[in-house]
Amino acid sequence: MVFSFGTRTPPTALTGEVVVSGLGKSYGASRVLSDVNLTMNEGEVVSIIGPSGAGKSTFLRCLNYLETPTEGTIEIGGARVVAGGKRPDKASLDHLRRVTGMVFQSFNLFPHLTVMENITLPQRKVLGASKEEAQEVANKLLKRVGLPDKAEQYPARLSGGQQQRIAIARALALSPKVMLFDEPTSALDPEIGLEVLAVMRDLADEGMTMIVVTHEMHFARDVSDRIMVMGNGGVLEIGPSEQVMSQPQNERTRQFLKAVLDR
Amino acid sequence: MIAQLLLTIAQGVGLTLYVTGASLLFGGAIGLVLVAAVRSRIPVISGIATLYINVVRVVPPITWLFLIYFGLPQYALRLSAIQAAIVGFSLIASAFMAEIYRSGLLSIPDAQREAAHALGLSPVATVGHIITPQAFRVALPAVASYAIGLLKDSALASTIGVREITYYAQQSARQTHEGLLSFIIAGVLYIVISLVVAVISRRVDLRLRRKIGVA
Repeated sequence: MVFSFGTRTPPTALTGEVVVSGLGKSYGASRVLSDVNLTMNEGEVVSIIGPSGAGKSTFLRCLNYLETPTEGTIEIGGARVVAGGKRPDKASLDHLRRVTGMVFQSFNLFPHLTVMENITLPQRKVLGASKEEAQEVANKLLKRVGLPDKAEQYPARLSGGQQQRIAIARALALSPKVMLFDEPTSALDPEIGLEVLAVMRDLADEGMTMIVVTHEMHFARDVSDRIMVMGNGGVLEIGPSEQVMSQPQNERTRQFLKAVLDR
Repeated sequence: MIAQLLLTIAQGVGLTLYVTGASLLFGGAIGLVLVAAVRSRIPVISGIATLYINVVRVVPPITWLFLIYFGLPQYALRLSAIQAAIVGFSLIASAFMAEIYRSGLLSIPDAQREAAHALGLSPVATVGHIITPQAFRVALPAVASYAIGLLKDSALASTIGVREITYYAQQSARQTHEGLLSFIIAGVLYIVISLVVAVISRRVDLRLRRKIGVA
C-alpha cells in the first residue's frame, strides 16, 4: 500500500464496530445514495437526521441489505459485505443480519403470533434455541421494555408504543451487535413516543451500538454521541451532537435545523 | 311421498360430497404448486402456469367433463364417471384455488417479509411461519365460497352418469312424475350442505378474527 502525505489512514485500516465506506445506490441513471462513510466504535450512538428524501432510510436499509447498495463496503460486528458486482453470498448476508437488529417505523410485528411467539419464533428458527431458552430470554426482555404482562396478547390488542417496545424486544432477543432504528417514533403520537424513546435511552446507556434515523431532535442531541446530517443522498455533515445542533457547518444543515427547531 | 322422494334423492348426497370434497382437496393441493409456479422467477415456468390457469378457467366445466369422459377414451384413457368428474373438477378447482392463494399472498404487506428478513429468518421459515398463516386467514372466506360454488357445479357430474343428488332427482322425476317436488328437494339438499359449509367457515373466520383482531 502506498501512503501519501499526512496522517490520512486508508479506509481499509479503519477498525470499529461499524465501518461503512463509499456506500452508494443507483437505480439505473438515478442516484439515491452516494459515497456515504460512517465509522463507529462499539457502544456509540449515531442519529441520522435530515429532510425527507435525503436517503436516511435508504442508507439504514442498505446496512442489513433490505435494500441492495450498488457500491461500497459494509463491515458490521465482524460481518463484511462488498456491494456492486454479483450479489453477496448467502452466508455473509446471514451474518450481516445476525449482527444487526432492526426496528421499523410501522413496528411490523407478526399479527398472527402472540407477543411471546413474536419474540421466540426468530430465536428458535435463527439461533436454534429451545422453546424454554427462548421463553426465558423473551420474559427477561419483556421485563426490560416494561411489558412483562403482555406475553400472551396478540399485537393488535396493544397500543402503538407497546407494539414498538415489543418490536425492540424481538430484535434484542437475537443479541445483535448493532441496532438499527428507522424512525421508530414517527408513527406514534408524541406522548406515546416518549415511552419508546425511554427504552432506547436505556439501551444506549447499557452500551448498545445504535444507528437511529429520527426526527426527534431532543433525542438526537441528548442521547446520541454523534449526529449525521443527510441531504440529497449524501452526508452533509457529521460531528458531535452538541456541535452539529448548535454550530452546524453546512448551510443546508442550518436551514434544516432552523425549520425543525423554530417550529 | 315427500319422505320417499327425499330418501331416494338423499342417496346422492354421498357422491356429491365425495366429488366436491376430493376435487377441492386435489385442486387445493395442485393450486399450491401452481401459485408457486406463477410466482417463479423463471419466465417459462410462470408463463406456463399462467396460461394453464387462464385456459382452465375460461372453458366451461361441462366441456371439461365431456372432454375427459367422452374424449380421452379415444386415446385409451378410460376413466369411470366418478374418476372423470373428480379429475375434471380438480383441474378446474386448481386454477381457481391458485388465484385465491395468489390474492391471499398479495394481501400480506411487504413489511412482513422485510421484518422476517431483517430478523434473519430463512426464506422457507418466512413463507412457512409468517406469510402462509396470514395468507390462509385472508383467503379463507374466498375458499369457502369457492367450495360452495364447486358443490353446485358438481351437479354437472350427473350428465356423465355420476349418481349424485341431481342424478337421483332426475330419476325420481321421470319415475314418479313429481318433477317439481324432486328438484325442490334436490335444491333444499344443496342449500343445507352449503349452509353447513358457510357456518363452519364463518366460525373459523370469526375465531381467527377475534384472536388476531385484524380487519
